[in-house]
Amino acid sequence: MKKFITAIATVTAAALAVTPVMAATDLTVFNSKSEIQTQFEEEAPVYSEAAGVNMEVAMSNDPVITHMGTRYASNNPYVLSMVDAKDIYSLTPEHGIDLADTKAAADTDYAIEIDGKVAALPFCIEARGIMYNKTAIEDITGEEFNPADYATLDAFKELLDKLVDGGMDAPVAIMKEDWSLAAHYLAQWVEEQEDPEAYVEQLVAGEGDIINNEKFNSLMDTFDVLMEYNYAKDAAVNADRNKSEDMLAWGDVAFMFGGNWDWSLIVQSESDSEMGMMPVPQNTDDGTNEKLVGGGSKYFFIDSSVSEEQQQAAKDFLDWMATDPDGQDFVSNTCALASPYKSNTLDVSDPLSVSVKAFADAGNLINNYNFFPDDHITKCGATMQKYLGGEIDREELANELTEYWKGAAVIEH
Amino acid sequence: MKRNTMSYKIRQYLMFAGPATILFCGVVVIPLVYGFYLTFTSWDGISKSKPFVGITNYIAAFGDGAFWVAMGRTLIYSAIAVILVNVMAFLLAYMVTRGIKGQNFFRAGFFIPNLIGGIVLGYVWKFVFNSAFVAIGENLNIGFLKNSWLGTPSGAMACMIIVAVWQYAGYMMLIYVAGFMSVSKSLIEAAQIDGCTQSQATWKVIVPLMRSSFVQCIFLTITRCFMVYDVNLTLTEGGPFNSSVMAAMHVYRTAFTEHAYGTGQAEALILFIVCAIVGVTQVYIGRKGEVSA
Repeated sequence: MKKFITAIATVTAAALAVTPVMAATDLTVFNSKSEIQTQFEEEAPVYSEAAGVNMEVAMSNDPVITHMGTRYASNNPYVLSMVDAKDIYSLTPEHGIDLADTKAAADTDYAIEIDGKVAALPFCIEARGIMYNKTAIEDITGEEFNPADYATLDAFKELLDKLVDGGMDAPVAIMKEDWSLAAHYLAQWVEEQEDPEAYVEQLVAGEGDIINNEKFNSLMDTFDVLMEYNYAKDAAVNADRNKSEDMLAWGDVAFMFGGNWDWSLIVQSESDSEMGMMPVPQNTDDGTNEKLVGGGSKYFFIDSSVSEEQQQAAKDFLDWMATDPDGQDFVSNTCALASPYKSNTLDVSDPLSVSVKAFADAGNLINNYNFFPDDHITKCGATMQKYLGGEIDREELANELTEYWKGAAVIEH
Repeated sequence: MKRNTMSYKIRQYLMFAGPATILFCGVVVIPLVYGFYLTFTSWDGISKSKPFVGITNYIAAFGDGAFWVAMGRTLIYSAIAVILVNVMAFLLAYMVTRGIKGQNFFRAGFFIPNLIGGIVLGYVWKFVFNSAFVAIGENLNIGFLKNSWLGTPSGAMACMIIVAVWQYAGYMMLIYVAGFMSVSKSLIEAAQIDGCTQSQATWKVIVPLMRSSFVQCIFLTITRCFMVYDVNLTLTEGGPFNSSVMAAMHVYRTAFTEHAYGTGQAEALILFIVCAIVGVTQVYIGRKGEVSA
C-alpha cells in the first residue's frame, strides 16, 4: 500500500513538474450598459485568447452602487468596472487606482480626474437632444430636412404645424420616465448656465430664482410645445417608451427627446428610416440651441485591492479598447457607439451616434453636470411628471424645484 | 449515561436542533443585529469605513416626511387590501366547499396566481391595465377604461389593491377551505336539527369555529401587504409622480438610490416594528375570543 501511495505521489509530482505554470490572469469586468452585454460576452473569449487572460463580463440590474457594495462586502471586487460618471466620485477615492500611465488616458479629452489623478476613462460618447425621423419629415414636407434650420423654437413650431397639416396628427413623443425628464431634460437647464457649479450653489442656498431664470424658461417653453404636439397628450404620464420608440422609428411621430442610447430600442423596430439627433430648439442666440448635451459616458475604473497583474491586465484592456484596431472595431462597429478616443477614426454604424460624434468632433457638446444629488431623479422626476401630466403649472414647478434644491446634497467632487 | 445533566441536554439539542439554529442565526438573527448596528452609522453602502453617528439616522427617519407619507399610504393600502383579500378568499372557500362540480379544479385555479412571482405579476398586470383594458375601452367605447388607470394616483392605488386581491385571495382561500373542512359535520347537523337554516348554521356555527383561520389569514395578509415591494416596483414604479410609493419602496430608495444606507435601515426597522405591532395585536385580539367545539 505504502509503495502504491509513493508511486502515485511520484507520478503526480512529475506531472506537475512538466506542466508549465501558465494560469491566466483573471480579468473580471462589470458592465453597467445592459444593451451591449451580449457583445461584451461574445468578445470576452476572443480577447481572453488574444491577451492571455481569463476575462469574464458580468452585469446586474440592481443600482450600480448596490451591486458594487455587495461585491465589496464579499471581498470580491471586479478588477475593471464600468459605471456612470457620478458613481466614479463615490467609488474611486477609496477603490480606484490612477490610470494616468495608460495609452488610453493620453488619447481622450473625457477622462475624469480627481485630486490630480486620472480616476476613470470613458467607454463611449453619449449625448442627448431631439431625435428625428428625417424620412418621415421629408415625406410630408417634400423638402430636404436640415436640422440646423430649426434651431429656434419658432421655426421648430412652424415645422410641427406643417407636419400636422400634412397628416401627421401628433409629431412628437415624450418619454415619461423620471430619469429622462429629470436627469436628461430638466438637467439641461443647469448645464446651460454659464457657470453650472456657481448656479447650483445658488440653488442650494435657495437663491436660484428659478421662475425668472432665462434658461429654465427657454427650455420649458420648448417643453410646452413638445407637450402640445405629444401623441400621448391625454395620458402623457402613461406613455409606453417602447411604443414611442417604435412610433419614431416608423415615422408615426417625427421627434422625441432622448439620446443615442435609444438606438438599442429603435433598431429593434427594423425600420429603414433615416434618423439623427439635433439640439433642443430654443429661442435664444447664445448658441446653446446649436449644441447637444453630453460627453464621455460609462466610465471604467480599476480596483485598487486586486493584484498588480490584474491591474495591468485591466490597463491593457483599456489600451486595447482605445487604440488597438480590434478594440476600436469592438466599440464603433460591434457596440455601434461613438468612441471618445482620438485615435479611433472609424465611422459609427448607429445613425444617432453618427450625429453625436459629429457634434462632439465640432466641439458642439455642452458638458454633463455629473454632481446632481442622488435623489434628484426620483424627486425632480416626479415633479416633472406632474408638470407633464398637467397637475401643476410652471410656477408650481419652479416652486417645487426651489424647495427641492434648498439644502440639497450635491455629490462631493 | 445520565440523561438529566446539562451537557447531555446540550448535546441532544445540538444534535436535533443545532443545524436549524445555526441556519436561523445565519440568515435571521445575525443580519437583524448587524442591520440594527448599521442604523447607528453613516455607511453609504460601499465605503470601507462605517462612522458611528449615534441616533442621527433615527432623527432623519422620523423627520423624513416622504417616509411617513409612504407609511400612511401603505396603511390605507393594507387596510383595504386585507379586507378585500379575506372577503374574496372566504367567498371562494365557501364556494369550493359546497360540493360544486369540479371544485378541486377551481381550488387549483384560484391558487395559481399565488405561484406567480410578484415581479412577473406586476408586468403582466401592467400590460392588462395599460394595453388590454384601454383597447377594450376604446373599441367598446367604455369611458372609464379608455385611459389607463395607472395614469392617476387613485387609479394606481386601485390597481395595486386589485392585484393584491388577485394574488393573495387564492392562497388565503386554501386556509379558509381547511377551516371549513375542520368543522365537524355533526355540529352543523345538530344545528340544523335545532332549526337553523343553512346561512344561520354558517354564521352561527361554522364561522365562529373558523376563527383561527381568520386570525392566520389576516395576519398573513397584513404582513405581506405592509412589506409589498415587487408588485409596487413593476406595476407602478411608484408613479405617477411618486404617488404610489409604498413604505418598502421608499426604504429601498433611501438606502440604495440615495445612498443613505443607515437612514434606510432605520426606516426599515421602524416599518418592521409598525408591522409587528399591528400583526401581533391582531393575533392577540383574534385569539382572545377563539372558541372550540
